[in-house]
Amino acid sequence: MSYIDVQNLSKSFTLRKKREKGKLLREKTEIQALKEISFSIGEGELVGYIGPNGAGKSTTVKILSGILTPDGGSARVGGLIPWKERKRHVQRIGVVFGQRSQLWWDVPIMDSFQLLRDIYRVPEDQYKKRLSNLTDALDLGAIMKTPLRQLSLGQKMRAELCGSLLHGPGLLFLDEPTIGLDAVSKLALRDFLKEENEKKGTTILLTTHDMEDIAALCSRVMVLGHGKKLFDGQLSHLLSRYDTVRVIEVRYGSGILPPLPDCCRMERNGENYRITYEPEKMPTAQLLSLLQGAGEIRELTAQPQNIDHMIAAMYKEMDL
Amino acid sequence: MKAYLAIFRMRLKMETQYRGAVIGGVFCQMFFGLILVALYRALYAGRPQALPLSSVITYVWLQQAFFRMVLSSDGDLADKIRTGAIAYDLCRPLNLYGYYYLRAMAMKLMGSLLRAIPMLVLAILLPDGWGIAAPQSLPHLLAGLFGLLLGLLCVCALENITMAITMRTLDSRGMQAMLNLLMMILSGNILPLTLFPDSWQKVITLLPYAQLLDAPIRLYTGEWALSQFPRVLCIQGAWIVFLVALGLYFWRQNQKRIVLQGG
Amino acid sequence: MDTVKLYLKSMKMLLRSQMQYPASFIMQTIAQIVMEGGEMMAVLLIIDRFDTLHQWTGGNLLFFFGMMSVTFYLTECFGRGVTGAFPSLVRSGHLDTFLLRPRGVLTQVLCHAIDPRRIGCIGVGVISLILGSRQSAVIWTAGKALLFLESILFGSMLILGLFLIEAIFCIHSVKSIEVVNALTYGGRSACQYPIDIYPRPLRILFTAVAPFALVLHVPSAFILDKPIYSLPGFAAFLCPAAGAAFFLLMYGLFRKAMTYYRSTGS
Repeated sequence: MSYIDVQNLSKSFTLRKKREKGKLLREKTEIQALKEISFSIGEGELVGYIGPNGAGKSTTVKILSGILTPDGGSARVGGLIPWKERKRHVQRIGVVFGQRSQLWWDVPIMDSFQLLRDIYRVPEDQYKKRLSNLTDALDLGAIMKTPLRQLSLGQKMRAELCGSLLHGPGLLFLDEPTIGLDAVSKLALRDFLKEENEKKGTTILLTTHDMEDIAALCSRVMVLGHGKKLFDGQLSHLLSRYDTVRVIEVRYGSGILPPLPDCCRMERNGENYRITYEPEKMPTAQLLSLLQGAGEIRELTAQPQNIDHMIAAMYKEMDL
Repeated sequence: MKAYLAIFRMRLKMETQYRGAVIGGVFCQMFFGLILVALYRALYAGRPQALPLSSVITYVWLQQAFFRMVLSSDGDLADKIRTGAIAYDLCRPLNLYGYYYLRAMAMKLMGSLLRAIPMLVLAILLPDGWGIAAPQSLPHLLAGLFGLLLGLLCVCALENITMAITMRTLDSRGMQAMLNLLMMILSGNILPLTLFPDSWQKVITLLPYAQLLDAPIRLYTGEWALSQFPRVLCIQGAWIVFLVALGLYFWRQNQKRIVLQGG
Repeated sequence: MDTVKLYLKSMKMLLRSQMQYPASFIMQTIAQIVMEGGEMMAVLLIIDRFDTLHQWTGGNLLFFFGMMSVTFYLTECFGRGVTGAFPSLVRSGHLDTFLLRPRGVLTQVLCHAIDPRRIGCIGVGVISLILGSRQSAVIWTAGKALLFLESILFGSMLILGLFLIEAIFCIHSVKSIEVVNALTYGGRSACQYPIDIYPRPLRILFTAVAPFALVLHVPSAFILDKPIYSLPGFAAFLCPAAGAAFFLLMYGLFRKAMTYYRSTGS
């Protein structure tokens, strides 16, 4: 029995267009945000949920967290139907929206946490224990008395995470948690999430555009496009299909690289060259001999293509 | 000149776009008017006054119809002042006073015309004793219209001064609310000035607030005879000259201050 | 009980955060006093010119005015989440956050905002009530005091209910809310004066549709010893319940509307 079980879930929105001249009624257009998607997630899994803007990711998360009522299909989370048994359901989940705060703007975050304790009816001893654990893990000690509005983006996100975990949820929905964060904050956040998942067994559904997050955290990914599920499985499987391109960077002490065949893309920055090619069309050995013939090579690195490029290629192929 | 006409045209276009809001606004204003008329009818039933009831009712309807002129509604400019974006405007080689003066005028004129016409039509159609009465005579109507125009010039000048002052205060919202309120009371929107104690009226009717609607309405209903018209014109004219001069002075000061501070 | 505690705690927190800007608070409170003071002055000037209105003396009119302004602004002060903040809650997507917590949506909306500046308006209302009660030579009894409180309580529920209509429109993303405003603010303006001065259609509107007359006027008239609608004494204690009924009806519709809520998507 899986923890989250979704069957043929659909949701559509009607958009009212602006009234055109001479027409009495406004035209309506219906947008199918979700078209009968199904999936299941087991307890303790950490699943990445990706797809281009407008694919229906947020709609899914909003339905699973009880904000929206779907038009058709069924969903059960831990045995509960989110939109029907909302209060019982949300007691057991935590949600973090990267661009939206659930804490109070003008008050010290400590006060926000206390109010959340009352809202979720968390017993005092449990609250104290969790708060001290989270304060340590998220390094919040120094900013407890600072109002939210004075915090940096990274501090805010840590505070948000703390707020959404105070009631000890078994399931955590994260919607773009690393958006806008600097490198240090990002890495710290990833470590925290990994630990939360591995040590406490919290099930996590992570929606993001940041493929580095996915690569660092999730073994399983689901890809959504135009309201349909396009892929569900190991990230490595997904990538191997699109991992067709390699990148070589080379720096010359002297000499100029002659034009390369059309199947290679070359960018030049002074003495540095960056060549993107497909080994299928241009064997690596052949390329290397071309490069060597051009002059004295000081430095050479070879690497797989950036993960974002792969995803872009995938979206393109899937016509998203 | 062309640029100034464009301000009016733009405004009219904007107002016609929000048809829903206009219809809703007319409905709302009609309803409020009916409540007020009902109240004054009840008050008059107990104790008739020297001023006939029909004049008070006409007063109410004209106030409701031109409500938009009373309200200072340039939220855009107020926002600019609050956020400090006004500094850019102040540095431009434009006659800002003239620009904002016409902007305020376009807003008041176009906003209220679209509402006033349907409202006055509806108010004419109301049964006897509820609706608006015809003007005393054609000359009275013309005098009222001319007075309204001058009153508008007067109020726009006044608004520009309050804008210039709020530009200097940090938290302008409380100030704005209070000035708006002063306008509502002293222009006769909350209670017709004709019902204020007679001794108060001697002073209040001289203030610039009363020039916008109160004076024109009194000319329209014939409460003030046509022989009073030159007196009204003099008061309005004097206020316009004084308020425009004062406003220009304030805006110059503000402009200088900001240029000195280097934006 | 737990909910009341949560509400009080939220209010305390909100107050503390608002008091971080005392200058702005004082300025805006003064503006509110001037505003409501202006309304009260209009009543005083009317009394000065007309003396009486039907069976009501000037003191009576001040009492009616005070009843409305205390009730209305108490509601706007403590119910600001519904009376003022709701549209922005929907637009900003904050309502989503409320749905993610194990509490009623309306509870959280009410816990979300307070408008302490209204204390100025309430103050003016209280002064009007005191003046009105003195000038009308009201003999206060325990029963009348109870009725007074009941009237204000149920009056607040009625006003909250009226603002809930606006919230319902808002959830369905209907923009032209002027029609609803006409009922709410029109009701406030009209029912500053006792209902029996108005013609039949307005009487029906504010008795049967938005029952200000039942909730505020019937009890006030009883307190002033001048019953209206020729109702027996005990009716004064029953009529205000219409406010609760109105609120419950609107609350039901609000809950229904929430199932159609479509959050503003990212």
